[in-house]
Amino acid sequence: MSGEGDAPGDGPPDADDSAAGPGLLERFPAVLMARRNLSRNRLRSGLAALGIVIGVLAIATLGIFGNVLQLSATSELGGIGNQVIVSPNEDTGRETLSPRDVAAVERIAEGRGEAVPLVTGSAVVTGPNGQTFAQLYGLDRPRALFEARSGRLPEYHRQGALVGRSVAERLDLQPGTAVEIEGQRLRVIAVLAETDDITPIQPDSAVVLPRESFAQDAPSQVVVQADSGEDASYVASTVRERLNAREPRVSVFELSSILDRINEFFGLLNGFLVALGAVSLVVAGVAIFNVMLMSTTERRGEIGVLRAVGVQKGDVLRTLVVEATLLGLLGGLGGVLLTCLAVGALYQFTPLGLDVVLHPSNATYLVVAFAFGVFISLASGLYPAYRAANEEPVDALRD
Amino acid sequence: MSGEYAGVDATPDAETESPLELRDVVKAYESGAETVRALKGVDFAVERGEFVSVIGPSGSGKSTMLNMLGLLDSPTSGEVLLDGVDAATYDDEQRTDARREYVGFVFQQFYLIDALTAVENVTLPTVYQRDRGAPARARNLLRRVGLGDRLEHRPTQLSGGQKQRVAIARSLINEPAVVLADEPTGNLDQETGTAVLEEFAAVCDEGVAVVTVTHDPLVNEFADRVVELVDGVIRDVR
Repeated sequence: MSGEGDAPGDGPPDADDSAAGPGLLERFPAVLMARRNLSRNRLRSGLAALGIVIGVLAIATLGIFGNVLQLSATSELGGIGNQVIVSPNEDTGRETLSPRDVAAVERIAEGRGEAVPLVTGSAVVTGPNGQTFAQLYGLDRPRALFEARSGRLPEYHRQGALVGRSVAERLDLQPGTAVEIEGQRLRVIAVLAETDDITPIQPDSAVVLPRESFAQDAPSQVVVQADSGEDASYVASTVRERLNAREPRVSVFELSSILDRINEFFGLLNGFLVALGAVSLVVAGVAIFNVMLMSTTERRGEIGVLRAVGVQKGDVLRTLVVEATLLGLLGGLGGVLLTCLAVGALYQFTPLGLDVVLHPSNATYLVVAFAFGVFISLASGLYPAYRAANEEPVDALRD
Repeated sequence: MSGEYAGVDATPDAETESPLELRDVVKAYESGAETVRALKGVDFAVERGEFVSVIGPSGSGKSTMLNMLGLLDSPTSGEVLLDGVDAATYDDEQRTDARREYVGFVFQQFYLIDALTAVENVTLPTVYQRDRGAPARARNLLRRVGLGDRLEHRPTQLSGGQKQRVAIARSLINEPAVVLADEPTGNLDQETGTAVLEEFAAVCDEGVAVVTVTHDPLVNEFADRVVELVDGVIRDVR
């Protein structure tokens, strides 16, 4: 029986305490005692932890849902943040930009993105399968603004037509077929892909031609596809500053500042949602406070005995604080688990992408909610623990 | 005796030194406007291996005296001496240490924790001490008080006499100099009370002093000495 023999020295012939091995728990007796005490009243401990579960769930889901909303909105709106469109000021009555203004915009955009002068018009397009009315864009470098669905976009656009998806469908066009626009026969080189971005340049129902093919080829606008949102706002403000210094010659359309506002709004919304969740967590904290107060009052005599037989104040205090913290850990873990389920359901039942749902920034909300849950529990346990540990054992044992 | 601090673990150099002594102890309580004096100058000492029974009518200050002896309460004036050292010099932590290492407690209501087994209850004073030998000592003590077959039982599965014997084992887990018992037979019938008192007598045979506070005349039959506390003053009966 004494084969194991990890008991020191005078160990009698008896197997060692097998239930709680000589592991971590023996080194932290407060944790062992706290766990024991909690498991004595499982229902009450469970209910207290449930409060924390709900609080953590509220913070984490509200935070993550708000964050997902923001992420998907910005990815949807992402493209517009990078576009600046310079067009003549309507008040001047002019419909085209002067070559000087175009050159100025191109200079400003240099190194920060690509400036594409754009001629616009509209015309009836005739294909092998009928005819339709389409928006016409004339530009030299289509790759800056568009992507091909089929066929290839030329680096420099000299000849042929690039047709939007719905035009191509209506007229049954493919790369290689011929179209007729205002008497000109043109070969289709590529069909343009749809863009998810919100932008004034919609290729879907348009036909893109080389600039030279327009009788009047002075650009009616310059589209700057900037490398980033910051570049876009730099270009926009510099163009305003330089070109409109004396009189408003051009109007500048850019969405990066609106995007900033939208982001700001979502930030606010998120803060609001998280605060809402925090309120529920504080309520859970009060529940833990109540439970701890109840259970310490109930165990008053027992704590008195512990103190009488030589357990230090600090050990009693530590055990009770650990009890509250364990409730918080348990509840926090449950909350995190349920949040993961909720986020899974969000992915399952909405058209949101996996990239948005699993974005690393969501983990921040999980961690913060969990930490806050544990902290609230610990804080709620402090006063009851302090009160119980500091009671004189004689008073506790008297009745 | 000198100003030098004697730790609670200090081995007594003089065999004549009393392990626990009260000198002119007065305890007064503020009760409303008036002051109630529960103890009015008590002088009391036990020897090693001595079984002393303190008797007296209820309200005579017996429990207060036991609380003084057990360092659960401090006197208004006078001295409580542990091996000749005045406990008034101890702070709360040292008093707690002294209660654990030097004194064993047995209560009328047993005060066992229902969620814990007999062995765990006996090791309760040591749970925060990283005392790995305690479970083995607890088993030995429980066997000694005749509960070798009840080691893993919980208090709810034990009779009153068995509970009190678990409590006695608990009081002995740290090999104290003195065991203090408050009405140890108060909740037991005569037969089990006798068995419990025999345990106390056995404890005394090992050099541990036992002080009981009781109404029960049965206790006096086992005691080496009986003192009576009347109106806060000690009187030797036998």
